[in-house]
Amino acid sequence: MIDNTVLPLEPTETIAVRRPQRWDAPMDALMSQSDVNWLKSREPFASMDAKAFPKTTPLEGILKNDCRLHRCEPGEIIVREGDYGNSAYLVIAGGVRLVLDSLTGEQLGRTPQTKMSWSEALSRFWRRSRVNEAREPHEITLSMTNGVTPVRQVDDRAAIFLQDVDAVLGTNETVPLGPGELFGEVAAMYRAPRTATVIAETEATLLEIRWQGLRILRRDPDFCRSLDDHYRTQWLPIHLRELPLMRHVPESNLSRVVEATQLQSYGRMEWNADYKRSRKLPAAEQILTEPMVAEEGRLPTELIIVRSGFGRVSQQFGAGHRTVAYVGKSHTFGLEELAYNALRDETSPPQPLQQSLRAIGFLDTLHIPAETFVSEVLPYIRRSELPAIAASLLVETPAFGKRASDDRRKASRPANSTSAESRGLAHPSGSQFETTGLLEFIVQNRLNNGREAMVIDLHRCTRCDDCVKACASVHDGNPRFVRQGSTHDRLQFVQACMHCADPVCMIGCPTGSIARDTDTGVVTIHEPICVGCGTCASACPYENIRMTSVNDHEGRPYHDATTGKPIIKATKCDMCSSSPTGPACQAACAHDALVRIDLSESKPLREWLERRQ
Amino acid sequence: MLGNISFRKRRWFALAITTLAIFAVRWLASRTSMNLGRPEVLTGSTVLACLFLLVLLGVRRRLPFWRLGSVSMWTQIHIYSGLFAGGVYLLHVPAIIAGGRLEFALSLLFVIVTLSGMYGVYASRTLPKRLTAIEGQHRFDLVDWHRGQISKAARSLLDDVKEQTAVRVLGGYYGKNLQPFFASRPSLAFVMAPTNLRRKRLLTGLQQLDRYLESEGRETSGALAALVRRRDELDYQYALQLRLRMWVVVHSVLSLLLIAFAITHAVTAFRFMSS
Repeated sequence: MIDNTVLPLEPTETIAVRRPQRWDAPMDALMSQSDVNWLKSREPFASMDAKAFPKTTPLEGILKNDCRLHRCEPGEIIVREGDYGNSAYLVIAGGVRLVLDSLTGEQLGRTPQTKMSWSEALSRFWRRSRVNEAREPHEITLSMTNGVTPVRQVDDRAAIFLQDVDAVLGTNETVPLGPGELFGEVAAMYRAPRTATVIAETEATLLEIRWQGLRILRRDPDFCRSLDDHYRTQWLPIHLRELPLMRHVPESNLSRVVEATQLQSYGRMEWNADYKRSRKLPAAEQILTEPMVAEEGRLPTELIIVRSGFGRVSQQFGAGHRTVAYVGKSHTFGLEELAYNALRDETSPPQPLQQSLRAIGFLDTLHIPAETFVSEVLPYIRRSELPAIAASLLVETPAFGKRASDDRRKASRPANSTSAESRGLAHPSGSQFETTGLLEFIVQNRLNNGREAMVIDLHRCTRCDDCVKACASVHDGNPRFVRQGSTHDRLQFVQACMHCADPVCMIGCPTGSIARDTDTGVVTIHEPICVGCGTCASACPYENIRMTSVNDHEGRPYHDATTGKPIIKATKCDMCSSSPTGPACQAACAHDALVRIDLSESKPLREWLERRQ
Repeated sequence: MLGNISFRKRRWFALAITTLAIFAVRWLASRTSMNLGRPEVLTGSTVLACLFLLVLLGVRRRLPFWRLGSVSMWTQIHIYSGLFAGGVYLLHVPAIIAGGRLEFALSLLFVIVTLSGMYGVYASRTLPKRLTAIEGQHRFDLVDWHRGQISKAARSLLDDVKEQTAVRVLGGYYGKNLQPFFASRPSLAFVMAPTNLRRKRLLTGLQQLDRYLESEGRETSGALAALVRRRDELDYQYALQLRLRMWVVVHSVLSLLLIAFAITHAVTAFRFMSS
C-alpha cells in the first residue's frame, strides 16, 4: 500500500537580501570626501600607513564613517570629568585646555545637590504642587550671566559654556593641547569615567572618533604604540594598584607586571542596543552567543582581571552550561587554578580551568601571564586572600615565597573564613549565589549592573504602594517609579533607576546634565541644563528614564521662546538625594519588603535574603 | 544594632522584651497596691501612653522625610507596643468587656482594635504569599483597566470566529454567561471570600460545549477558558489587595475612636478620683 502522507517540504528556496554592512550608519552623514582628504593631510593620519588597514575597513572609511568634525567656540566645555563617553577627540585646529583640577558642579552648570533640613522638607511637603511636573522658572533653565546663557546652540548641537573662562583657567592647573593631540581615548576604549574636564580655549576644530574607529586605527603601529604607551605609563599602574590582590606587591614587581600585562576586549560596547533582544533568549542560547574569554578544561596561561564590563562564569553541566557566578570590575578569573599549579607538588597533575569565562555585552580584561603572576604577584598575596585549595598547599610548601614577608604569608586563615569576601573584600573570583536560577535571572536581565537596584520581596509586600506615595511626596507629587518590573520567584526587580555600574545613559548627553555624584555614586539629572534630547532615555536599556513636559505651578506648560516647542526634561529616581532621610521608598515600606541594594556583588542580596527567615 | 539580625531572632527578642515589660508593670502595680496606692492609675496611664505611641505609626507613614527611623521600625514598635498594651489592659480591667456605657464601649473598642491588629499582622504575613502564588502582578489602580482589556479580548475572539456552528454555540453561551462575567465587577460575596466556584461553573459550561464544536470553535473555546482563568485570577488579586487596604482603613478609624474614648475615660476617671 502506498503511503500518501504528505511530509512537510524542506525549505529549498532562499531569499536574497542585502547583508548589513559595517558602515551602514555613519557617525556623521555630512562628512564629505573633501573633509576626509583634508584630514588625511593632517597628523597623525598623514603619517599612517594606509596598507596597515584591512581592505574592508580602510583608513578613509574610518575617517568618513567613524568620525565627526566639531567646531567649538571659546569657553565651550568639551568633556567633563566623571562623564562616560564612547569617543575620543583629536585636536585638528585651535587650542583646548585640559583642566587637571576638579571643577565644581556649579562651574559645569550642575546644580549642587544639598540635603534639605527637616523643616524645609516639611514645608515643601505641605506646599507640594497640585500640578504634575511643576517647576519654578529657575529649574527650567540656567539664568543668564552678563547676558549670556550657559547652554547655547553651536551649529546643530547644544553645548554648555564656562561662565568665567579666564578665572577658571587662571586659578586651576591646566595643560594646553594643540593640533595633533588626542584626548578622551582611555574613557572611550575602556568604558571608564573621564578623568579631566576639557575646555576650548580658542575657536577649535576637533575630530570626534568613536571607539569602533579608534580600535581599527590601532592597526597603525605608531598610533597603537603611542596609545598603549600612554595607557601603560599613565593608567595601568593605577588600575593594577586598585586591585586588592596587588596591594602588597612592591613597586619594582608592579612595573614588571605592567610591562607583561596584555589588554583585551570582548563583545560590543553598545551592549544596551542588543539587550532587549538578548534578554528574551533562553539562557542556554544566550550563553552560546557570548564571546568566550577563557574555556573550561584548558590549562590556565594567564590571570584574567576584569577592567570593565561584565563576564559570566559557567560550568559544563550535562549537555549545556550552568552559570555559577558573574564577574565585574576588579574581579579575577583563573586565580585558583594558577595558584594551585604554582604551589602544587611536582608529582601532582596541573589543574585545568574549572569554569569558562564569557563576555556579557562587553568585557575589557587585563591578562597577566602565568609566569609573571607566579614570580611577581603570588608571593605577595595574603594567604587569607588566596582560594582555599591554594592556601592549604601553602602550608605544605614552606619553601615557597621566600621573598615575601614571612609574617604576612604565614598569617593563619581565620577559622570561619574561606574567602576574601569574609574580610569585606570583593570576592576575587566573582559573585556567587546559592541558587543558579536567581543567578541566571540576574545575569540574563543584566541586573548585575545595578548598584542601587530596587528589589521587593513579594512574600512580604502588601501591595499598599506606600513606596510610590512616599516617592511622590518627596518629589513634589511626581513619583519617580511605578511598582512594576520583572519577577523571579518571590523577588520583584522594580523599574527604578539602578544607578548602574556601567551607566550607558550618561554616554552622549550633550550638556553633561546627567552625571554621577562622585561621593555617593548616585546618577542624577541636573534639570536646568537638560535640553530634553532624550539621549539618556533611549540609551537606558531598562527603560528607567522618562521624558516629560514641564509646567509652572498653575499648570501652564513651558515652551521654547524660539521654536515654540514644549520644554521636555528627563526624570528618574535620584535616591531622594535632597531628602534628609535618603531613599523614601525604602524608608516607607512597613513590612521590610523593599530594599535598595547593590546587585553588582552577591553578598548584599544574599544577606538580605538570609535575614528574611 | 538590630538592623542585621534575622527576622526570626528579632521576633523572639521583641517578644521576650514585651513579656518582661508586662511582668515589670505587673510587679510595679502589685507594689503600688501594697503601698496602698492606685495600681489602676499606673496601668491606665501606661495603656493610654501606649495608645499615643501606637498612633505615631500613622503619623510616620504620612511624613516620608521623618528622620526618626523607617516605617518598618515603627511598625515593629507598633506591633509589640500593641501587645504590651493588651497585656497591661488585662491588668487594668476587672473584666475584658466592662459594664457601664462608656466603659463598655471603650473596652469593646479596645478588644476590636486589638483583634483587628492581630488580624492585620496575620493578613500582612499570609496574603502577600497568596498574591505572589498567582501568575502576574497586577497593580490595584490598574485592575479596572485589565478587566476592560480581558473583556475586549473575549469580544474580539468571538468576532473573529468564522465557523457558523461556533458562532451560534459560543455566541449563545457568551451572551448568557461570559459577557456578564467579563463586563461586571466581582460580587461583594466574592470580594469578601473569594472562591473558585464561578470559575469552575464557567469552565465546566465551556467544556460541555466542546462536543458541539469543530476545530476552530474548540480553539476559541480554549482561548475563552484561558481568559476566564485570567479574569478570575485578576479578581482574586483585587479581592486580596482590597482586603489588605480596607483592613488598614478600618483599623485606623477604630484606633482614632479608641483614642477619643480613652481620653474621655481618663478625664472622667481623674475627675472622680479628685472629687
